[in-house]
Amino acid sequence: MSEDKDNAKVQMDKLVAESLKGREFPVNALFTKLSDITKAIADPAVKWSRSNSLWPLQFGLACCAIELMAFGSPRVDAERDGFLLFRGTPRQSDVMVVAGWVTKSMLPQVKRLYEQMSEPRYVIAFGECATCGGPWWESYNIIKGIDQVIPVDVYVAGCPPRPELLFSALLKLKEKVGGKIVENKP
Amino acid sequence: METKINIGPVHPATHGVLRLVVTLDGDTIKRVEPYIGYLHRGVEKLVETRMFMQSPSYMEKLDYVAPMSYDELYVSTIEAAMGIEVKERAKYLRMILLELQRIASHLLWLATTANDVGQWFTIYMWAFADRDRVLKLLEEATGARMFYVNMRLGGLNRDVPEQFGENAIKLMEYLDKRLPDYESFLEGNPVFLERMRGVGILKKSDAVKYGATGPVLRGSGIDYDARSNHSYYLYKELNFYASFETKGDCLARYKVRIKEIKTSINLVMSAVNKMPKGDALGMPIKLINPEPKNKEVLVRRELPRGESLMYLVADKQRPYRLGIRSPTFVNLSLTQHLPIGARIADLFPILASLDPVMGDSDR
Repeated sequence: MSEDKDNAKVQMDKLVAESLKGREFPVNALFTKLSDITKAIADPAVKWSRSNSLWPLQFGLACCAIELMAFGSPRVDAERDGFLLFRGTPRQSDVMVVAGWVTKSMLPQVKRLYEQMSEPRYVIAFGECATCGGPWWESYNIIKGIDQVIPVDVYVAGCPPRPELLFSALLKLKEKVGGKIVENKP
Repeated sequence: METKINIGPVHPATHGVLRLVVTLDGDTIKRVEPYIGYLHRGVEKLVETRMFMQSPSYMEKLDYVAPMSYDELYVSTIEAAMGIEVKERAKYLRMILLELQRIASHLLWLATTANDVGQWFTIYMWAFADRDRVLKLLEEATGARMFYVNMRLGGLNRDVPEQFGENAIKLMEYLDKRLPDYESFLEGNPVFLERMRGVGILKKSDAVKYGATGPVLRGSGIDYDARSNHSYYLYKELNFYASFETKGDCLARYKVRIKEIKTSINLVMSAVNKMPKGDALGMPIKLINPEPKNKEVLVRRELPRGESLMYLVADKQRPYRLGIRSPTFVNLSLTQHLPIGARIADLFPILASLDPVMGDSDR
């Protein structure tokens, strides 16, 4: 029994040492607080898993929502990178794709949806209207850019952007969430 | 006991940002109050501040499932005001492009409706793949995937490439073979049939009373189509006839749309064969155009969602007032009447069969 325990301890130490290899740590890292160490080990794992399971919210406003639907169609095939779990409820989703113009009457709903999403949450402003008001910038009922209200991570230009661009935006977001450049480049 | 539930404005099955407040008794619907206007951005007012040919891009964003049809409607309204004749080849090309747009629009409707009634991803994937084929052809002809802005006064922005006719006929032959697959998949499926047949019946008299348009009207047994009743372009020469069904339920509306896809396929084929050679280009976009001869015009066109009218009171270089009668707005008023007495689960097939596009009704 004791041998097994010792073995496990040795292996655990090895794992810790391996995971710390190549990272910047103070020399007395092992003497710092335990929580810091666990955080240092867990952070990359959390980032990695977060960046690989970005679930978009099934939420379309206007024209760009049609391209959002085309994003799920066979031509683009978003499923190959794990982006096709469109969720009907904000509580299960990580990414909100604001696809379309946001009017003054729709703004409270968009804000509420964003607040209902659990953290960490990300926003993609998809298309001209969500980015800056687009062709409607002179209208009396339009919010000129969703970033005035909620923080935006990735902006996509185009009217409407092609579905491939949403794919590339999600890959960009994946890089951002993972904290590194991923292999798949758009 | 009565319960009130709120559906939307963000709901996967409302086809946009439509909000319905439903009063229920058990699971029987007693009252439905639709709330619209979540996409209102004041198009009619914006157009008044623009020169005539600056606006087609705004018009396309009205009905974003079939953008070209509104583009064409607006440009032909301006043409009617200025008294400009459309070139012969351009007439054929416009008809071909509009019918292709109609096919794309109906395929998207089929995809989302099949989703709503429980035929999960099969039809969605098929219809979207075929719609992308149609869009690719339109991209070949106009240079854009979704918003084309291809109509110019008297013609088109650019003529189609040489192989267009050949490609169009190839695609139409493919779709002609493909459609029976959809039909046998859906009409041989008891779930689909049970959820569509006998649901949301719109009587002939009610359809007229509530002013339904398009496939909803034709599903109730009324043979009215602006393409044949108010003949424009060359639909008469191509022996166009409107397709209609008599039963007035959701299944009838589905059948009308499937028939319309078939009619459109035939129209495109015969138009491509009859298309004359020559010039199809319209006037290039200029800020200053000839002054309109007629100060007040009304033009009607059959869009994929129904009949749309545009009423223009023209100033010298810009519209003084542009009124748009949008088919979705009229059809959406039926949500107050059709689901009464139905089950709550039937609300979504009924709503889907009206084919709402909220950008169109909210303007």
